[in-house]
Amino acid sequence: MFYRDRLSFEEEDFKLKVGFLHFSSCSGCQVAFLDMFEEAVEILDTVELVYSNMLTKRRDIPRMDVAFVEGALCVEDPHHINLLREVGKKAKVIVAIGGCAAFGGVRRLSCGNQLPQPQSQTFVPVTEVEFLRTKVKYAIPGCPPNPSLLYSFLLALLEVNEDFLLPFELMTSSTKASGFDIISEVVNKGFCVGCGTCSTACPTRAISFNRECGKPSFNSNLCVHCGSCLAACPQSFKPYPQPVYV
Amino acid sequence: MVGLNRRFLIGDFRGAFVVEGKGKNPIESIFRLMIKHKFIDGLLTCSKTGDSPKLILKSDEVELPSRNTCFGVNSLLKRAIQKYRFSRLAVYAPACTFDGLNKTQYFGIGCNWTKTAISLKVGFLCPGLLTENGFTAEVSDITGKPGKVERFYFDRGELFYLLEDGSSVKVSPSIHHHYINSACRYCLNMAAKGTDITCVSLKEEDKVLFIVRSERGWSTLAHLQKVSPGEVLFRKADGELLTSVENFLREKILLNIADIVERVELGLPVPKWNDNKLRKFYRIWNSVDVNFEEEVF
Repeated sequence: MFYRDRLSFEEEDFKLKVGFLHFSSCSGCQVAFLDMFEEAVEILDTVELVYSNMLTKRRDIPRMDVAFVEGALCVEDPHHINLLREVGKKAKVIVAIGGCAAFGGVRRLSCGNQLPQPQSQTFVPVTEVEFLRTKVKYAIPGCPPNPSLLYSFLLALLEVNEDFLLPFELMTSSTKASGFDIISEVVNKGFCVGCGTCSTACPTRAISFNRECGKPSFNSNLCVHCGSCLAACPQSFKPYPQPVYV
Repeated sequence: MVGLNRRFLIGDFRGAFVVEGKGKNPIESIFRLMIKHKFIDGLLTCSKTGDSPKLILKSDEVELPSRNTCFGVNSLLKRAIQKYRFSRLAVYAPACTFDGLNKTQYFGIGCNWTKTAISLKVGFLCPGLLTENGFTAEVSDITGKPGKVERFYFDRGELFYLLEDGSSVKVSPSIHHHYINSACRYCLNMAAKGTDITCVSLKEEDKVLFIVRSERGWSTLAHLQKVSPGEVLFRKADGELLTSVENFLREKILLNIADIVERVELGLPVPKWNDNKLRKFYRIWNSVDVNFEEEVF
């Protein structure tokens, strides 16, 4: 198991050390984790939260097995550069969580509904940073990602369910994802079935449904580049395991 | 190697029944009863014409698409689950809608808590979806004159359209294949395998073939019979009926497979993160020892 390789532990004592690191974002992804509510209780005995800017008092960043990184990196901010170096040293696996960390999100164009934080202009998602290339294993789309997705993801991570994790691994190499992809990758290539899943996945209603042609229509002004639409589309990655009937 | 047998074409199922609904459409009757007896708190489907998605909240509003067109059903998913907070939602749609729905349930992407909010999935056997323009063009191609399609049905393994003027038109799969939505040309799940129940429209408007797949579908129908006995009548479907459906599917799926093979051989682009789905099928289609059940199509 990738995060257990250098640890010596008793099987029953093992707790996965996770941390949340915040770059430039609204912190909505971390809040989405807290929205798991009672589902989170089920995994609390196997997970230890070692660092979070919102939930722990700790100021220094400890060593951790999995670092969930939210937000895009501001190139002009020395604090972000230091944080980047530290996360590269201290985390064994990095999971880019949410549109900003995975694909740039609203930070890609600095045109979101909130001011850039801090007052700077250049933002890149952590999936694009060469220094972390070997550590960023998974990217989770969404703005913010659904709590149920985060719960399933954590569970899959604990169980090493590679089948579930594979699509999120593929997403780390796709640094751009937006509603344009739904048009260029799915609709224009003749794969759109007109199910409307992309439209329901879009958090900003940038994708609506065109009744006349039975296909989605895209308003680029509203798109926050979170990648939810392409990730949700049944024509993108593996839809689901074939159901088994008993 | 993929064998175009019943298991691949129709999928696994627990039982097949011809359902009769006392002069009414039995599926509509079943959904009406389910809303009335609070088995479900809403029904997600399309309007009768199939061009727009519809969320049905009351039993007297139940009206299902009668043609093989049903677009954008999942676009109302978030409204149903997160706005109306439905926790027992039924969905009636073609297989492709359930691909999106099942993916949302499995991964959690798209709409939160879909996993627990859907109580029944009823798919219809879909020969390929058409837009309004597609129907007009197809009918003029077959009959030589314009006509409006009222409903579609299967009779003795053939696809038919009932037109507005009351006449029926036999639709050959090879002609139908040219008019369907381009994505439907690569579909290998026309029988809606990821659902609880698959409905096949039959010639008589008050009769439908139900292919019950899951325990949930089975027990829902059993409960419904218990609370409203005699409202809809179930008769075990004979083998001949299933064979005729299977024959239609085989004929249509061969056309789809030819398109997939052509697409792969030409190297036409596929969506990113596609996981080479078509190429995998191509390999299995041309192989002798791969078990298709391990793959998802």
